[in-house]
Amino acid sequence: MNIQEYISSGIVESYVLGLADEAERAEFEQMCSQYAEVRAARDTFELSLEQHAMAAAVAPPAHIRETVLQQLAAGPSVPVSKTAAPVVQMRPVKRGVLPGAMRYVAAASIVLLMGSMGLNVYYFNQYRSFSQRYDQLVAEQTQLAKNNGIMQTRLDNYEQTMQALNSPYMAQIKMEGKAVEASPSPDSKATVLWDTRTKDVYLMVNSLPEPQAGMQYQLWAIVDNQPVDAGMLNMEKGHMMVKMKNIPRAQLFAITLEQEGGSPTPKGKMYVMGKV
Amino acid sequence: MGTTLTYTEQELVSLLRNRDNKAYAYLYDNYASALYSIILQVVNDTELASDVMQEVFVNIWRRIEQYDPAKGRLFTWMMNIARNASIDTLRSRSYQNSRKNQSIQDNVDTLQVNDVIQPGVDTIGLRKVLEKLKEEQRILIELAYFKGYTHEEIAELQKMPLGTVKTRIRNALIQLRGLLK
Repeated sequence: MNIQEYISSGIVESYVLGLADEAERAEFEQMCSQYAEVRAARDTFELSLEQHAMAAAVAPPAHIRETVLQQLAAGPSVPVSKTAAPVVQMRPVKRGVLPGAMRYVAAASIVLLMGSMGLNVYYFNQYRSFSQRYDQLVAEQTQLAKNNGIMQTRLDNYEQTMQALNSPYMAQIKMEGKAVEASPSPDSKATVLWDTRTKDVYLMVNSLPEPQAGMQYQLWAIVDNQPVDAGMLNMEKGHMMVKMKNIPRAQLFAITLEQEGGSPTPKGKMYVMGKV
Repeated sequence: MGTTLTYTEQELVSLLRNRDNKAYAYLYDNYASALYSIILQVVNDTELASDVMQEVFVNIWRRIEQYDPAKGRLFTWMMNIARNASIDTLRSRSYQNSRKNQSIQDNVDTLQVNDVIQPGVDTIGLRKVLEKLKEEQRILIELAYFKGYTHEEIAELQKMPLGTVKTRIRNALIQLRGLLK
């Protein structure tokens, strides 16, 4: 091949400007390594192109410099290949054109994809909303079951109380504030139910003032003038019958207000009392 | 832009490969305007050109290892990165543009010189030089260099035998070399 002819065929410019195809490029690189004249022609054209580009330079907007340099200082997070590749990396630019039918298919699939993504978002939101409402319902249901349990216990208690009140074996001792000299609450009433067979004592509060914090009512059985602890009152049980201690024998029952937890002997004021 | 280089190309490349920030600042200061001009000639839109600019420098940063001095000058390598990035951007833009979303065949008949050579950028750089070429040559260089069409695509577009396309482009390039001197 005549080197001068090759050089002046336009291949040098075609290669440098990135217009040569793969085969031409390979051939040109081969020629460059083989012939200094080809290399020199390439260098000359490159230099004139560079000088021309420098002369034709247009200053970019000033802010780009900062953006670019900051971007590079931050370092693009893509690993850098260590292998050398051809200088003129002219990947043929892919035409963004599909055959006629395929572009409709492509367009349709994009539309479908968008639609599907939209539905995903919609259904996910629906799912979240239902999931929240379900949790709410479960919480409500638990609360209702609990309330129901409480009501059931209370009802059982009332039934028990009713039975006891109607039982012929149940002695009723009415304790009154009036019966106590200097009772802090003369209108208070409470009833002791005393099973004559088992000697179990039950207490039912008709009315007693709410004790202040740290204080608690205590039931006493007076046996031969000696007070015997018959149990502490739990005001939370309300007006229901509450089982107290077993008292085999007593002449009097009385309630005093004591320190929470009770005392071995009555120390506080007596509120109500009643004779057996 | 001065050619008052303080680094030789070899030194510069070696610093760039070491991710030397000063070298990149130097690279930007010395070549950004020339590359921006090339980008502008392809995309013909200053806003778009700014985006491409950033992409080009990131690409230079990422691919500096691939630059082989035996195959050409650093500037030539960067220039081709700039041209490729510009054409890619233009492609992705025009692909989104429904107006242009017709097949090549539909376009052939309506393809005018005015469509391919936009006003404004034809007074800078290579485009200015191209003005001196015959119109038939100018269209071919426009399509090949600035639009990135392959010779085969141009042959189809221009309803011209492939051999003719190749010959005319080569002839245009030879003239271009003369004009650049």
